[in-house]
Amino acid sequence: MAPADAGDAYPMRPGFDGAMAGRVAECEGGGPAAGGAFGGREEFAGTLTGEYVDHGDPPWRWYRLVGLSRKPASYPWDAVWCESGSLFFADE
Amino acid sequence: MADPLYTKLCDLIGVQYPIVAFTPFREVAAAVIEAGAFAVLAGAPQEPDRIAEDIRWLRQRLGGKPFGIDLLLPSSAPPVGTIEELQAQIPEGHRRFVEAMKERHRIPQPKNPPEHYNLGWINQDRARRQLDVALEERVPVLAFGLGSPAFILEAAHSRGIKVFGLVGKPRQAKREIEAGVDAIIAQGSDAAGHTGSIGTFSIVPAVAAIAGETPVIAAGGVTTGRHLAAALCLGAAGVWTGTLWLATEEADEAPVLKQKLVAASAEDTVHSTCISGFSMRVLRCAWTEEWEAPGAPEPLSAPYQLILGAEVHQAAKDYTIEPFMTEAAGQGVGFVTAVRPVREVVQALVDEARAALEGAASGSPVTTPG
Repeated sequence: MAPADAGDAYPMRPGFDGAMAGRVAECEGGGPAAGGAFGGREEFAGTLTGEYVDHGDPPWRWYRLVGLSRKPASYPWDAVWCESGSLFFADE
Repeated sequence: MADPLYTKLCDLIGVQYPIVAFTPFREVAAAVIEAGAFAVLAGAPQEPDRIAEDIRWLRQRLGGKPFGIDLLLPSSAPPVGTIEELQAQIPEGHRRFVEAMKERHRIPQPKNPPEHYNLGWINQDRARRQLDVALEERVPVLAFGLGSPAFILEAAHSRGIKVFGLVGKPRQAKREIEAGVDAIIAQGSDAAGHTGSIGTFSIVPAVAAIAGETPVIAAGGVTTGRHLAAALCLGAAGVWTGTLWLATEEADEAPVLKQKLVAASAEDTVHSTCISGFSMRVLRCAWTEEWEAPGAPEPLSAPYQLILGAEVHQAAKDYTIEPFMTEAAGQGVGFVTAVRPVREVVQALVDEARAALEGAASGSPVTTPG
């Protein structure tokens, strides 16, 4: 999920949250497309590894979800980074 | 008797009518606000410098009246790649399908580099730069059409900025209300562009039931005063409107698209992944018809579908290839039947809402436009 640009202004601080590792979660994902001309929603479900990255300040935390049991059709990967505010748990 | 159209949303923002216009055109935003409603300008497609310029333009034009800027925050991100790397991963069958389509419809190479190659969502930095500008300029209202604004609430509130969050599910609403957003926009699947799967009539009361004192703004298919009246009856304190403003005189929309919008009915919109790989509601066009035809492949996920169609969409724009031109439009588009000045649209919404509320109370409902 590292930015493609060189010389980015925002620090990316990786970390590990043991309390999140192994938890099954759903991600209400998506984002802007075509430079923000429009946006879209994508849903994912999988298992959190506990790995996260804090982007910038205030920290915008992203967690890694793997072993995807739900993902968009044709989504070719088995992992996604999900922003912490968009993660939901079964016991919530 | 209290004015049913003066709601806690009006109190929160400081406006006369509980109508929020979402628009990419600053002239429309200004005209809506001058007519007594509220407007949120789409900031997501713009570079940060342009967002700052738009904010200053609106401040100068409106002389202190409040306005909003909308941003889209990514909430999921796959592994990244350059355009060339992503293009190389597109299946050959899909490429052949699009090439055959271009031949059949005689679509030339675009004049300009495809705008759709600007895949800002893969890079959180872009969203962050846009956010930084809005915070620095202390825009009166920051709305987030996608993604959770929880992480930025304290920074926004400390600058006197109100924050609105747009959601497609009640659980998202609960999360954002508990985080402290100032208003929650409950968007139903009638809406243009990105939508969830829950209809407006279902999501609005569900969110209103959990919102407490937080104003709920109903979104999705709202194009008439009757919709506004219905939204208030469902527990909303206002409405969020988009499609309606694309066909106004002040909108800098291509004339061809304005005419398409005016001519369209609800059946002329389609909820499809074929434009971007994301599910979104747009006006039907030759591109969406091709992807619905028997034998068409399944659209790819984002960003591949976007890259696959980029040259076609750019060529359609560059050469005004009408059959391939489309716009995000909600199911309420059928009630948009003429290109009108913004002020007239605002007044029609207000007058019809009042008539509808009075009619419902007296047993004589309004069923046709006022």
